[in-house]
Amino acid sequence: MTLKELIKKVFFIEILKGMALTFKMMCTRAVTIQYPKQRRRIYAGFRGRHAFVRDPKTQKEKCIACMRCANICPSQCIYIAKKKRPEDGKLYLAQYDIEALRCIYCGYCVEVCPVCALVLTEEYEYSAYTREELYFTKEKLLENWDEFTAKLKEDTYFNKFWRPDGIDHSKLPKGKREQGPVPTRPLPISEPESSPEKTEKKETD
Amino acid sequence: MSVKRDLKTKLLTINMGPQHPATHGVLRLVLELDGETVVNCKPYVGYLHRGTEKLGENRTYPMALPLTDRLDYVSSMANNIGFCVAVERLLGIEVPERAKYIRTIMAELTRIANHIVWIATHALDIGAMTVFLYSMRDREWILELYEMACGARLTVTYPRIGGVRADVDQEFLDHCYKFTEEFPKRVEQYETLIDQNRIWLQRTKGIGVLTAEEAINLGLTGPTLRGSGVPYDVRKFAPYDAYDKVEFEVPVGKVGDVYDRYRCRMEEFRQSNSIIRQCLEKMPSGYVLAADAPGYDMAAGPRKKPAQPSAPKAEGAADTPQPPANQPAEQGPAFEEIYVATEVPKGELGFYFVSDGTGKPYRMRIRAPSFVHASALPKMCEGSLVADVIANIGTIDIVLGECDR
Repeated sequence: MTLKELIKKVFFIEILKGMALTFKMMCTRAVTIQYPKQRRRIYAGFRGRHAFVRDPKTQKEKCIACMRCANICPSQCIYIAKKKRPEDGKLYLAQYDIEALRCIYCGYCVEVCPVCALVLTEEYEYSAYTREELYFTKEKLLENWDEFTAKLKEDTYFNKFWRPDGIDHSKLPKGKREQGPVPTRPLPISEPESSPEKTEKKETD
Repeated sequence: MSVKRDLKTKLLTINMGPQHPATHGVLRLVLELDGETVVNCKPYVGYLHRGTEKLGENRTYPMALPLTDRLDYVSSMANNIGFCVAVERLLGIEVPERAKYIRTIMAELTRIANHIVWIATHALDIGAMTVFLYSMRDREWILELYEMACGARLTVTYPRIGGVRADVDQEFLDHCYKFTEEFPKRVEQYETLIDQNRIWLQRTKGIGVLTAEEAINLGLTGPTLRGSGVPYDVRKFAPYDAYDKVEFEVPVGKVGDVYDRYRCRMEEFRQSNSIIRQCLEKMPSGYVLAADAPGYDMAAGPRKKPAQPSAPKAEGAADTPQPPANQPAEQGPAFEEIYVATEVPKGELGFYFVSDGTGKPYRMRIRAPSFVHASALPKMCEGSLVADVIANIGTIDIVLGECDR
């Protein structure tokens, strides 16, 4: 053992170095986020609670019941029923359910939807006491959208996975190619009817 | 003297796990102890078995991709890439350059994130608490980079067959570059805390020694093998993605003990960092998805013939046969099989597919490094002290999600 090594051993040099680092860290800014008060920034494409985009024109969902999302879903948690309308014989969406407890949040459904009707929103605080509350029906999915847009600061919303960057857009369906940002504020005419809905939901929370 | 001779001792059998904080999951070890010494060690696995392989056989290739996130949940991005590379070779898809570079960046970020979790838990098990705090702080940075790219932090599902799901933006590249500048300093911080620390040295040096021969015979891969001095790395031996276009070294140890494996992984931090840096500098522009990539709604039925059967072969796919065009239905399904290994942070992750020409794999087998590494535990633990079992579990970097599949 050389003298240097002996000195190192006797004076706990390496431990003191570690202590010095710890002390230095004590004086730096804390990196912890105090969660309920402080919040992390949410990046584009965040996959949170499911919602149906409320079409600003019709105030209804845009889904055309093409079944693509139900077919691609790896956990098979989307149930769709379509029926024929007696008046004109056209198919319409009778039932659309997402079982959020089974969802694995891969976001495939958002990406395959040809009309950009479905979205995984930036909501992440939606725990519930019962399973039924996390079984999203068509109406609940639209409600989710209203709740989400009410919190959104921007006036328009565009999900990253509706039309991902960097892939050849010319091969995408027309609805996806032409999809622009969706206005998140209700149009002036329909403003009074959508506001009571929001307040009603907040009370149940 | 006579009293001592009359003392009868017998072996004590104890259960370590499946619920034990230091087994990194639900690993159960049955230890037979003679005092403090381990005489016999038997690992039992399978507590986290979810039937991933069988599930994969009931899903089309794009639908089976999210399952791989849940294998090794600490390095989900690397598992995704491994799956995608395997399916791409099977279908004969050439990935665009930009996607290759993005994937390489992601794979190396994953390697750093995984090793961060490894150093955090390993050091915590052995008794160094502070490293845990510092390394978790830095992991957050990587998870944020993931989120920038794809919106998810843990179960990312970012790569897809034929490329990646979405291009990365300038913000990601800037942050990533900043990360590569800052990260070597962070590695130095970890090293300041434990590298020369006498407690750390005593707990790791000469513990769990595996010679190169033993390590190869046990089928170990990754840093666990390289710690024994075998420079085997899939990234060098069978390059995929952009690994043949970047320069990096494969760090190896000498003795093959816990400390050498620790040194290997610490060196891999720096190598991964330099790979990310090189990729960022060389990043080409263009699409991130191959034109002939299957869509998400890939049919479960027989696959269509490739548009151009004489497409140029991928450089890395020279050793694997180009899938032949499907046989007519009368002749029965044309079976193809392929095994593709990728270097995930824990070792060699292999996907073995048998395809009957449809959109679903006929058989999907996953060669999980953690499963193989678990079999090295008896060799390492027998004859050592009970306290060293913890160090040995930590050093093989086991994740039970992957081990039990």
